[in-house]
Amino acid sequence: MRVLVGGIGYRNLKDHSIGVSVSDRLMELPAPEGVLIEDASYNPIALVQRLETGPVDRLVLVAAVNRGRAPGAIGYYRWDGKLPSAERIQGAVAEAVTGVIALDNTLMVGRHFGAFPEDVVVVEVEPVLEEFGDEFSIEVSSRFESLCRLVMTLATAPVGFDPPPIAPLGGGEAVRMA
Amino acid sequence: MCFKNLPVEFDASGKPFLKEGIANPYAPKDPGGPKQLSHGQIEELLKRNGHIQSVDFDPVTRVAGALSFHSAVDLKERKVVEARSMATLFRGYEVIMVGRDPRDAIFITSRACGVCGGVHSATSAMATEMAIGCVPPPAGILVRNIALALEFLYDHPLHLHLLAGPDYSALIVGATNPSLLARAKKTPSLKGSIHGYSTIGELMEDLNPLSGKLYLEALHMTRVAREAYVLIAGKYPHPQTMIPGGMSTTLDLTVMNEMLVRLSQFFDYSKKLCAIWDDITEFFYDANPEYKKVGSRRANMIDTGIFDLPDAYDATYKNAGAWGEKRWATPGVIVDGELVTTDLHALNIGLEEFVEHSFYEEWTGSGQRQRYATDPAGKPLSPYHPWNKVTKPRPSGQNWKEKYTWDTAPRWDRMSMEAGAYARLWNTAVAKKLPDNPFIESTGHSLRIRLPKGRLPETEVEWHVPKDNWNAFERNRGRAYCLAFTTMIAFNQWIALMDRVKIGDTRTSTPFEIPKTGEQLGVGFWGAGRGFLTHHMSIDRGAVSNYQIVTPSTWNASPTDRFGQAGPYEEAALGTPLLEETDDPKAFKGIDILRALRSFDPCMPCTTHIHTGEGVVTREINTCACGVDEPATV
Repeated sequence: MRVLVGGIGYRNLKDHSIGVSVSDRLMELPAPEGVLIEDASYNPIALVQRLETGPVDRLVLVAAVNRGRAPGAIGYYRWDGKLPSAERIQGAVAEAVTGVIALDNTLMVGRHFGAFPEDVVVVEVEPVLEEFGDEFSIEVSSRFESLCRLVMTLATAPVGFDPPPIAPLGGGEAVRMA
Repeated sequence: MCFKNLPVEFDASGKPFLKEGIANPYAPKDPGGPKQLSHGQIEELLKRNGHIQSVDFDPVTRVAGALSFHSAVDLKERKVVEARSMATLFRGYEVIMVGRDPRDAIFITSRACGVCGGVHSATSAMATEMAIGCVPPPAGILVRNIALALEFLYDHPLHLHLLAGPDYSALIVGATNPSLLARAKKTPSLKGSIHGYSTIGELMEDLNPLSGKLYLEALHMTRVAREAYVLIAGKYPHPQTMIPGGMSTTLDLTVMNEMLVRLSQFFDYSKKLCAIWDDITEFFYDANPEYKKVGSRRANMIDTGIFDLPDAYDATYKNAGAWGEKRWATPGVIVDGELVTTDLHALNIGLEEFVEHSFYEEWTGSGQRQRYATDPAGKPLSPYHPWNKVTKPRPSGQNWKEKYTWDTAPRWDRMSMEAGAYARLWNTAVAKKLPDNPFIESTGHSLRIRLPKGRLPETEVEWHVPKDNWNAFERNRGRAYCLAFTTMIAFNQWIALMDRVKIGDTRTSTPFEIPKTGEQLGVGFWGAGRGFLTHHMSIDRGAVSNYQIVTPSTWNASPTDRFGQAGPYEEAALGTPLLEETDDPKAFKGIDILRALRSFDPCMPCTTHIHTGEGVVTREINTCACGVDEPATV
């Protein structure tokens, strides 16, 4: 099974950089067979094109995103793949080609253009700090190591083994909290 | 003499000087030109006339970044009576840069945009080169030219078929002007042998967003351009190889060949896009000549020129007039359709920025001395010139009479100018200063571009200066031809660079040091895909003491100025007839206004960025749309 683990976010934006910090950390470790780890923040359209030429069976994306959860909370789910309206997708594409790096538009763009596998696992961290800088808040930094372990567990779990709950974009009520 | 409004005259040798005997030579004076109605007059009209209504686009979708637009429209008379362009975020790079090492500017200012970071890096590198006296070697200049040309090959298709293109798609034309779509389905195309569509209706179908073949093809072509770009720039959109004194690129035959494989794909794509936008433009003109007024305004435009000739560029301000005129895209200013100067010095000293309707404090007056009375060549500078400007943000509530935007109002010779890829074409076509080459010819009224054989045969396309119609359609058509122009400039550079590689001249940079004493001034005159770009910098004892960026969208999105002149978006909207087929105010989508706005290829990230009281910034750091859902389907 081929798995891509992608961190998403801007660098040097405190908690909002958690996704790429996770992928940076995991890249320092020996990768399990079949697991590729990348900073996937290079533009959702480019990610689509990368997956078109090198498809994977499972995609695990990790990012900070404001969902109104407790500070530093980690939620994860398997995305049901349902897309919003065409207008919102069109907006996501326009954002993507003009430089927006964000989890939701990556998901919308990737699914719309058919580049993502069925098995897309999303790991979201509730950020606290939204400022320039390379340090995390206490709430996020205290969970960094466990977050890395969770991401690798989700990446390497056999198909069907304690799968994450299926949930819509954003996780909704079904999201599982770590 | 190129100035009509500034108090500047020229001596017998052509050197400009301030008119004598004027106590306050740069005091505001009304230069004339079209004016907006006052907000009081608009309010009165709204009260008296039920058919006049406010239409707000917040945000304007399918543009890069956060642009809002307020208008008041008269649905009975089918015209726009008020237009206000609002940049809703603060940029702040001018503040961030102060006190930093000048070398940081290349990497920090690149983040001003998620599309065209490279142009900011290059412009910053050039400002530093000028300040410290560092000249890139020929191969460095050629690689820089190619890199930025490739960035435009990403940018133009993106705008034409992902952002503006849907405005002309079957989906949107059918929703706003059903009779026009019906006509399109029956109208044979003029250039089907090139683009492959037998009717305009078929072409419109493939412009449909998300699913149209032209939309998807543009996405693919952005990849081709990006792949070529990263071969020499290292990374997109923020390059890693731009430095003062050239590029840190390693050149070899493999890199050259990999680039050519990708660049050559734009030979045919350019032919196709020119044909498509010729067909769309002529169809709309033929269907209803009123479309010639959509987005129309005075043909006032400004461009710094771009793509240096290695034999000419010496990175000095003193010789900027000379090396500027030898660029592949000629610098210049067009006033009412006439080219008035190609001199970068004249362009620079005529530049001012005003903030009467912007969320900034005035920096002149209050006893503050004017930092520079002249430029480094001894030519007069306004206190409102970027080298004299101080960025003083002052957030406040929105008020049409007072302040309503984070954009400033740049003016040249006190006039509202627009920037765009087409200004690059216009100056170059009229000036007839192009370097000798086998592919592009400047005729004085047009540009002839010979595109080599690909799957399509060798083809000559010709862009004609559209003196009689300056409007949204011509902006889009110009951008399509600019794709062909840029492709062949890149190919010219590739050939010149290959000649260097063959003789082993692959040195792409010159070593430099930042002086730790004294004060230095520099300016980068370059261009974004959307046109005009300058970075004005001063260095004091090794650190940046002032940094000012003027982007194309700073010009285009600018608010009404202290003289009452509307900014280009505003003026273009005011000139737009409402041709949408609806009498129902609730069904009104404002497609004609949106076509006018999008034809400028707005790039608001370059213009503005979000600033919170704490200091910064969330996902909108180099982005668009502010995370706000689209309010309308167009």
